[in-house]
Amino acid sequence: MLDRYGVVALFAFMAVLFPAIPLVFSWIIRPKKPNKSKTTTYECGLEFEDFPEEAQQVWVQFRVQYFLYAIIFVVFDIEAVFLYPWAVAYNALGLYALVEMVLFLGILILALAYAWRKGLLEWA
Amino acid sequence: MPDATTLYLILPEITLAVFGMVILAVDLIWRERSRAALAWLTVLGFVIALATALLGWGWNMALFAQMYVVDTFAIFFKLLAAIAGILVTLVSLDYLRDRTPYRGEFLALFTFAVLAMMMMASSASLLMIYLSIEFLSYMSYLLTGFLREDKKSNEAAIKYFLYGAITSALMLYGLSLLYGISGSLNFADITATFAARNDVPTRIVALVSTALVIAGLGFKISLVPFHQWAPDTYEGAPTPVTAFLSVGPKAVGFAVLLRVLLTALPAFKNEWIALLTVISVLTMTLGNLVALRQKNVKRLLAYSSIAQAGYILIGLVSVNLNGASPFSGLNGVLIYLFAYLFTNLGAFTCVIAIENATGAVEIDDYKGLVKRAPFIAALFVIFFLSLAGIPPTAGFIGKFFVFGAALREGFLVLAAIGVINSVISVFYYFSVVRAAFFEAGKDTAPIRLAPPITFSLVVSAALVLVMAVYPEPFFNLAAWSMGMFGVAK
Amino acid sequence: MTVHHFIILSAILFSIGAVGVLLRRNPLIMFMSIELMLNAVNLAFVGFSRFLQLVDGQVFVFLILTVAAAEVAVGLAIIVAIFRARDSVDVDEVSDLKG
Repeated sequence: MLDRYGVVALFAFMAVLFPAIPLVFSWIIRPKKPNKSKTTTYECGLEFEDFPEEAQQVWVQFRVQYFLYAIIFVVFDIEAVFLYPWAVAYNALGLYALVEMVLFLGILILALAYAWRKGLLEWA
Repeated sequence: MPDATTLYLILPEITLAVFGMVILAVDLIWRERSRAALAWLTVLGFVIALATALLGWGWNMALFAQMYVVDTFAIFFKLLAAIAGILVTLVSLDYLRDRTPYRGEFLALFTFAVLAMMMMASSASLLMIYLSIEFLSYMSYLLTGFLREDKKSNEAAIKYFLYGAITSALMLYGLSLLYGISGSLNFADITATFAARNDVPTRIVALVSTALVIAGLGFKISLVPFHQWAPDTYEGAPTPVTAFLSVGPKAVGFAVLLRVLLTALPAFKNEWIALLTVISVLTMTLGNLVALRQKNVKRLLAYSSIAQAGYILIGLVSVNLNGASPFSGLNGVLIYLFAYLFTNLGAFTCVIAIENATGAVEIDDYKGLVKRAPFIAALFVIFFLSLAGIPPTAGFIGKFFVFGAALREGFLVLAAIGVINSVISVFYYFSVVRAAFFEAGKDTAPIRLAPPITFSLVVSAALVLVMAVYPEPFFNLAAWSMGMFGVAK
Repeated sequence: MTVHHFIILSAILFSIGAVGVLLRRNPLIMFMSIELMLNAVNLAFVGFSRFLQLVDGQVFVFLILTVAAAEVAVGLAIIVAIFRARDSVDVDEVSDLKG
């Protein structure tokens, strides 16, 4: 009984530790030059009063490529919905499920090849 | 693991899936050089799918855990899908050449749309119905908005998309209720549950979900009150896509509606007959009355196709598979859909031929057409006679069987409203014919026809006339196609 | 927590989505309302699936999620095409075709 809670406690400890490490580490090594923009609470973007002139010109529309990346991401992200159950039940499913998954991924790869060939993966 | 029989029976679907992807890949690899060849590759795919669909004739089997059935009813609609695919591909060649550089993508999406139609025809579980309908819908939205730079095409696509997304969400809610109340996604189990349980709460939930499912399918078939998208979408979409939308999704929409109502919800026959009778009257009447005021031929044909859906619905509400009467309602629907496919595709092909030559789609632009293109003008008369249901054309045969079934079932008022509506429809069909034959036009340059368009016009017109003159093979085809999995003959 | 709670919550969410679609005029917001309707259906399926002790309702949810992702891709593509063609996405302004 106790060792089960021990696992939970260990998990909770690790969960706190992992985000803490990079925060502390970066606090140690980063240069400290606070200004008004840096000390304000982050909320829906920043004001750029203290920034050099050229850096203030960033209030622009997003490039359309950004939207295309997002769409491609959504489509490939959803593929994981099918990959996880398949991977979990892999031993019970056998060869045919492997063939099916290869077909499924093959169709998705054709879509990726299409996006690539059309130049959607190049930012410039 | 599916056995060899299963793979054999889904050969048409496999063919189209492979062809769709090959077309996309070929277009990617040899962009410029492959353009003319791609259309013929698409046609080849449809021909192979047509042939392989026929291989499954006579089988009556449920595949993939009862989710997918191959019966003669499904194969009938697969034949319709493949034929529509061939004809629309042929008429789209010249239309697309001047309007978009992305013809490979168009053909691939179109192949997938026909694949989705075939899957709809075979769906026999709530899950497959949802997936195949959405598949067809997304392909249709993309094809509708395919002319990206064209504002009308965009607008048509967003209207179609929003209406479609809302009605499909409604239908999905209905499907979830149906699943909750019956405990299965499978039509046979749903029928068994409703046959065993008949208490009031079950009936209420089942009726609500039936109405929601009819809403979702009514959108695909463009039944009133789910028709508002149709005129705008038909007007704005590329005309070959309009031609496809007016026959393809509508036909398989009826296939799914028939299959759901007859194999999953026969316990509520009286209720859905009452609901669909009202919808049928509204659809016919509204479609015809609004069509009278139209100035644009594509909009006119849109309202005409709404009205046609109303007539077909008469056959659906008169379905009675008992007894050996030649008017079972179901065969009326099948004959009507077969006749309507060739008639409406033919009429739209005429519109496309004129639009290719002159860019005109208003009725006023058709003045003096008989001098510029006597062949098209003559075919217009044949197709409009058929749409109005005047002999000797296929449309008359379709209406004869549909109205006959209504009389057999004693729906005299419904049949009378159908006949009155057919008479009204003559006025607007002949407003186009009058402009073409009896009014002088400004432009007199003759209109030339490309060979693929001539071919599909001749095929459509020939079938419209042959069906009327020698209808026996078509009766037999419809009679054989009534074999639906899970329904005793 | 019985199945009724899930179904009632799902009905409420579905209604909120439906009202949102009918009242809002920005395609993006309408689109989000439609997604809410779909997720209400997902909740109903999961609730029924648990109540019936059957797994096929949950499989249905997986597929609805996938289809919804495809819907997002198609819908956003159409909206972006409209935006490029006319610099506005308000549905009332998109009215070259008389409806």
